[in-house]
Amino acid sequence: MIENQPRAANSIHGSVVSNARLKRRHAAETRLKAYGILALTLAGLALVALLWSVFGKASLALSEHYVTLPVSVETGDSALLAKADFEAITKDSIAARFPEASSREDRKQRAELVSGGAVFALRDAVLAQPTLALAPFEHAFLASDTVDLYLKGESGALADQAKAGDLTVTVDAGEVEFVSSQSDFTAILALVRTDLVDQAKKLRDKAQLQDNGVVEYTRRAETETGEKKTKDSDEAAKRAGKRDALLAEALDLEQRAASPEGREKLTDEMPSLLIKLGETWIKVGEIGSAAGKGEIVGAIPHQSAYSGKDWQFMVNPTPEASRKITDKQTIWIETLRQSGDIESKFNWRFFTAGDSREPELAGIWGAAVGSFWTMLVTLLLAFPTGVLAAIYLEEFAPKNRMTDFIEVNINNLAAVPSIVFGLLGLAFCLGFLGIPRSAPLAGGIVLALMTLPTIIITSRTSVRAVPPSIRDAALGVGASKLQTSFHHVLPLAMPGILTGVIIGMARALGETAPLIMIGMVAFIVDIPRGITDSATVLPVQIYRWSDFPERAFEARTAAAICVLLVFLIAMNAVAVFLRNRFERRW
Amino acid sequence: MFETKFSAKDVDVFYGTNHAIKKVSVEIPDKTVTAFIGPSGCGKSTFLRCLNRMNDTIAVCKVSGDIRLDGEDIYAGDVDPVQLRAKVGIVFQKPNPFPKSIYDNVAYGPRIHGLTASKAELDDVVEKSLRRAALWNESKDRLTAPGTSLSGGQQQRLCIARAIATSPEVLLMDEPCSALDPIATAQIEDLIAELRANFSVIIVTHSMQQAARVSQKTAFFHLGILVEHGDTTKIFTNPSDQRTQDYITGRFG
Repeated sequence: MIENQPRAANSIHGSVVSNARLKRRHAAETRLKAYGILALTLAGLALVALLWSVFGKASLALSEHYVTLPVSVETGDSALLAKADFEAITKDSIAARFPEASSREDRKQRAELVSGGAVFALRDAVLAQPTLALAPFEHAFLASDTVDLYLKGESGALADQAKAGDLTVTVDAGEVEFVSSQSDFTAILALVRTDLVDQAKKLRDKAQLQDNGVVEYTRRAETETGEKKTKDSDEAAKRAGKRDALLAEALDLEQRAASPEGREKLTDEMPSLLIKLGETWIKVGEIGSAAGKGEIVGAIPHQSAYSGKDWQFMVNPTPEASRKITDKQTIWIETLRQSGDIESKFNWRFFTAGDSREPELAGIWGAAVGSFWTMLVTLLLAFPTGVLAAIYLEEFAPKNRMTDFIEVNINNLAAVPSIVFGLLGLAFCLGFLGIPRSAPLAGGIVLALMTLPTIIITSRTSVRAVPPSIRDAALGVGASKLQTSFHHVLPLAMPGILTGVIIGMARALGETAPLIMIGMVAFIVDIPRGITDSATVLPVQIYRWSDFPERAFEARTAAAICVLLVFLIAMNAVAVFLRNRFERRW
Repeated sequence: MFETKFSAKDVDVFYGTNHAIKKVSVEIPDKTVTAFIGPSGCGKSTFLRCLNRMNDTIAVCKVSGDIRLDGEDIYAGDVDPVQLRAKVGIVFQKPNPFPKSIYDNVAYGPRIHGLTASKAELDDVVEKSLRRAALWNESKDRLTAPGTSLSGGQQQRLCIARAIATSPEVLLMDEPCSALDPIATAQIEDLIAELRANFSVIIVTHSMQQAARVSQKTAFFHLGILVEHGDTTKIFTNPSDQRTQDYITGRFG
């Protein structure tokens, strides 16, 4: 084999110049492929990340928790039963389980363990089976959203800490002093003290600001005279005083953080420390390396010495201030959990209930039905109108300036922002036609107007794609223009038309802005039973929930997004199916 | 000879500003095959499409002059092209069956014109049409199969069956064999010969041999003008015009 031998000009291996050019061409192709694969990978990753985050959040909304408590209604008379104060009965049931809550604030926290809607569920259960009321019975109350989130681990979880010593407790009027035989709390004390360093740093930053003021006023005072000078000197002195106070405070905090001795008060911005002594809990308020002070939650402990295995030391790393559930509530929930009175169930309510201000009671069904009615109106208006308009424009209309003008305007309408259609709907449907606010009829009309251009454009494209030979064949055997259009052209164009219609409808299903204009953002609890009932739709429900302050709505928002996604994917799947199923070759 | 079926007088056709057919006058006899020959773009297809007003579907196309079918002006205001096309069937260059079953393809014409009173009668018309189009034996067991599943030659015969199912009086054929192989062409030509017994057939063709084989009358078009028209034997053996002579001997076209 001889390399580098000049080849004949007509060899299929080509000349040196042509080979170099060929190499560049291949390199360009390889680069293009690499860019393509890179772009696809990035898009795929973005999609996975999106779905992961949405489905991850949504999964939290799929279960709900129930708290089982003994209930005593104490009346068998069914006439009195309907008038019974079930709210008080519910409160009494919880109070019987946790009698230690005495202060007003504690009683409020205790009552908030169960959902506000649990009262009605209890009433319904008792009225459905009045014999229940004759004797105390067990009832599963729906847990409130904060409790539910805690049980799902969204408000921090209690973590057991290692400890070695025996604990001695001294009770003094609800307060309890505890001492461990070992330095069991050193690690947690250090953690608490890092917080002190952070606070000291903040104070030093503030002191720096005051110092800037001192420098500035001193500089001004140097160049000024008379009254002004005095004023600025005073100001400088005042700021220097503030600065020094802040620095002293910071220094104090830093010294406390550095010293191994002494106790620290816990604030609600620090991790929560809890000590469990059998049935009794201590919420720690002050901690040293081996001892501390706290508040008793539960029964007064009847012994004063606990060996290492009889007490537990737990930490919730999420500070109380950053979660809605209080430490006392977590203690009660843990007690209930231990006695097996908490159960988790699949959240059917989410798929069958209407909207609610209480996240644990809120469901998507009202919005789904609202979407159904709205889409029905949209489909019934936009589909026949759009297809007939397309057939007319393609098959019958004379080609002149008027039709050109109409075509340009249809194309422009397809690009009009959807909120503009909302304004039109507000003026036309609500103002002129007098359709009630929030009605699917009005929403459907607005979305039909919005979808119409899309349907006309895709339908025209499909009609145009039907080969002229089919029209000739039909006209040739004596079919009229109308027969040609409806017997031959329309059936052949139908798969394309349906694809366009479904994609247009899918867009309408996901539309929020125009519906906001016609009042479909209202808070509607009832499931709409017709096209004139007040209703909301899925995307608007998502938009509203995402705006609610309760954290439990976050999961419900994500779950509602999933429901909407499922509808959209199903609609697109139907579009693809129709296209493949009815696509004909000619 | 037979009586005149179509008579055209001073027919002019314009596509916009393009003068496609210039003052064509021709008489087409009944129960005869008439061939239109001529180079591409000479206007023979355009003229053929004037005979059943298929040109009406082209917005820019303007037809003037006088075309009479059995003495009636087909462009008169009171003539419905739909009725005319039932009497004057057409077969196109490319086979264009409907994407429906073979049966429905043939039955479509009789159905829309209400030619049959019962299902049995319609079955009968379909069978007769398929038999006359020499497609019955191949298709009688698969009448529900789509027309598009047939081969090219079979599809063209299906189109002929569809055209004759409405019992037209004239059958227009626009290069019906140009997309077919010689065997299918031979079958179609046999078919044309048979159809002559009942219909007046007008066929546009690029093949001089085909014109000579199947037609009794031939019209030679050139640049929108009807150059010569007469018995096929005369046109092919002793044309009176130099252009005809040049064309059939292969000097141009």
